[in-house]
Formats: sequence, C-alpha cells, structure tokens
Amino acid sequence: MAILIAVHSFRGGTGKSNTTANVAALLAADGKRVGVVDTDIQSPGIHILFGLDQDTMGQSLNHYLWGQCTMVDAAHDVTPGTAAAAGGKVWLVPSSIRAHDIARVMREGYDVGVLNEGVRSLIQTLSLDVLLLDTHPGLVEETLLSIAMCNSLAIVLRPDQQDFEGTHVTLTVARRLKVPRITLVVNNTPAGYDAEEVRAKVATTYGCEVAAVLPHSDDLLELGSAGILAVRQPDHALTGLYRQVAAALLASG
Amino acid sequence: MTIPAGTVLVVDDESLNRLLLTRSLEQEGLRVQSASNGLEALDMLRSRPFDLVLLDIVMPLADGFDVLAAMKADPTLTHVPVIVISAVDDMESVVRGIEMGAEDYLPKPFDRSLLRARINAGLAKKRLLDLQREYLEQVGRVVDAAIAMEAGRFEPELLEPVSRRTDALGQMARVFTRMARHVQEREDRLKEQVRELSIEIDHTRSARRAAEVTETEYFQNLERRVDELRIAADQ
Repeated sequence: MAILIAVHSFRGGTGKSNTTANVAALLAADGKRVGVVDTDIQSPGIHILFGLDQDTMGQSLNHYLWGQCTMVDAAHDVTPGTAAAAGGKVWLVPSSIRAHDIARVMREGYDVGVLNEGVRSLIQTLSLDVLLLDTHPGLVEETLLSIAMCNSLAIVLRPDQQDFEGTHVTLTVARRLKVPRITLVVNNTPAGYDAEEVRAKVATTYGCEVAAVLPHSDDLLELGSAGILAVRQPDHALTGLYRQVAAALLASG
Repeated sequence: MTIPAGTVLVVDDESLNRLLLTRSLEQEGLRVQSASNGLEALDMLRSRPFDLVLLDIVMPLADGFDVLAAMKADPTLTHVPVIVISAVDDMESVVRGIEMGAEDYLPKPFDRSLLRARINAGLAKKRLLDLQREYLEQVGRVVDAAIAMEAGRFEPELLEPVSRRTDALGQMARVFTRMARHVQEREDRLKEQVRELSIEIDHTRSARRAAEVTETEYFQNLERRVDELRIAADQ
C-alpha cells in the first residue's frame, strides 16, 4: 500500500518544503520506506534540508525527464540517522539547481506521462510505503499534474487573507481533480491566536480536515535550511505537531 | 582605633565584673546588656539580636561551656562570636572554649587595651559574617526569582531588597526585574491581542481564478485522464 502525498501551497514561503522534510523524517523514524520528489522544478530547495550537496548532487529529476537516467537512478539515499536505527529509509529525487537545467524545463516542458511513470517505478522499485511530492507553489502545470496523481493532498497555508483565498482556489481545483483526501496544514501562526479556534474556523470555512495548526517558531527560523527540526530536536513541541501532520496524512491515505 | 558599633552581651556571675565590663564597653560607644548566669544569657540571646558575647566560664546553673554548646547547636546563634572570660592561669578552660567554637579569650583581671582589641576583632568578624550571610541570602532570592519566573509566578517585589544593593548583585537584580517586567508586558499585550480569526473569501473572485485554471486545455486534459494518472493507494 503506497501512499502518494502531494504537499502544496498556493504561495511560496509558507513552509511547504519544511513540512515535507519533517514529515518524511518522522515517517522514516517510524520504520517507513519514504520517497520524496522535488517537483518544484522552477525553484528547487528541499535537497538543502536533507544535506544533499548541490555541487555533487549528480542525477536529478531533470535528467530523468530528459531520458538520461531512470527515476531510481535519480533517487539519493538521505536517510537520517534516527530513521536508519528504526529500519526506515528516505530517498530524495532532487530537482537540478543549475540555471540552464531549470530554463530548459521551463522552455521545453515535459511529458506528463513520463513523470507519472517515474513515480510509479520509484514506488515499485524501492518498495515505498509513502511518496511525498514537494510541489511548486501556485497552480502551474507541474503542480496540477502532482495533484492529479496523488491520492492525498496536503495544502500548507499561513493564516492571512491572501493565503485564505488562494487556498480556496486550490481546493476548488483539487476537488475538480477528485483528489480522494485533502488535508490542510495551517503554518506559521502568530502568537496570540488560539490554535484550537484556528483549527475549527479553518475546518468549517473550507469543509476540510485540518491536520495541525503550527505556531510561528523562532527555533525553526534559527535552524533555517541547516537541517530538519524533527531530526535535530525530536522532543521539540513543533516536532510533536509535525508528528500530528504525518499521522493525519497517513490516515488520509 | 574605633570599635565598630554593636550590641554586646556580658555574661558573668560576679556583679563587679559585669559592672566593669559594661562601663568599659559603653565608653567605647557600644550598647551593652548583661546576664548573671548561663540560662539567663541563653534566654536573652534567643529573644533579641547580639553582635558579640563576653562569656565567663565558671557560673552557677549553666556554665560558660553549656552556653557555648547551646549556641553552637542553635542555627540562629552559631554565627554570634563569643569571647570567653577566664582567669590568667586557667588555660585549660580557654583551650576547651576555643575548641568548642569561641573566637578568642579575655584574661582576668581585664586590660582595657586588650579588651578593646579583642572586641574590635570580634565585632569586625561578626560584621563580615553578617554581610556574607546577607549576600548569600540575597543570591538565594535571585535564584528563587529565576525559578518563579520559569513557573510564571514571578513578583517583582521578590527582588526589591536585592535591587537596592549598589554592587554587581544589585545590578543583576535590577536588570532581571526590568527584563521580567518587559516579558510580562509583552505577554499581557499578546493576551489582549488574542482574537477570533477572521477568514474572508471573495467567492466570485475565487471562482474566477479557479476558472482561469480549469478552463485551460492542459487542465481539461488532466481532468479527462485523471483516473489513469492517479497512483492508486493499493498499487
């Protein structure tokens, strides 16, 4: 039973990649075999959280889409130590950060069927329990494809008016594409809001499950892109909330 | 040399000795009270503060050793310096008294200069001990304040006595209190800011923006092929 989860947000900077990386690390720490594909081809970044060296990265999603390698060849083992001890694994298929690679994908596009086949082969070859797609923000073509493929969609939003309306648009589109389960993650909530009230209000407004309401965290800000909070600080309160997100996403699969 | 001001308890069963010592000490600017036996002395010590005790050894009821032993066993009296009074030829009592915790001894008959020097040293030591005790007590208050702060029950009054100090500890207490006040003010502001989340969505605009996506050829192609593209959970 492989669960394909697309983690999406209408705008950039909502904490989508951090959410994806933390959920992946926590699922692997539970002994799961987890894949992560950075489908944010236009502005890749999740590889930094997993400590993958940009210069020696090697094969990427771009190379697969151009027929230069298999999807499995582009999957890098980035299993954190905590996950390895539990028998879990994390493989990351990064997107190329080279400017001409990004420009080429933007210019030429890629075949929808090829990405779909790559995702299927990754799940089967690596016997994945979960595959997470870190999507490009907004509703560009590759994002729509990720939403069409996934059987579970997590939409990360910040509690501000721009995101509220953008999330409404995303939900309308996702529902047209008949995504079986959709979950909302409210991130970077300023101090002063009651988390349970926010959860209830958002759930009622969108008619959608809210996996967690994550507060603004100075610790996460301080960590920046230097690592994954759930790996660095497994007992941190925010890690506990990421654990809720992971559980909700698995349940929704 | 001036004797530091203080209150001295003279304990001697001989009234002449008490009178001589009292007069000498009062002339040095000290406040003096006296007791004629050990039991009376202990009662007085437990009922009011003294800075120094001049203690005769040989007395009826409770002797000087009994008083010394009781004082050293009492946490509220153990720090009060004791000078034992003894006859010049009774060194055995002097040694025993010092072993039991007396600071010094004063031989009879009394020599005024020696009396002044020994009292001076005893009071200076008491004063130093008092300062040390007060310092440690106030360090304890700062530690208690930090614990209270962490538990969210810090009251600025806790540190007021420490804040009045002019040394580094006083400065630390003032900075701590100021920071605690800022934290408290911030928390109060946040509490005031707690409000119901307002979500306003312009449904017409949202529908238009969604249509801009769903009316594209790309989307409609995806929508047609969605069953074939979707990765089944049981694949």
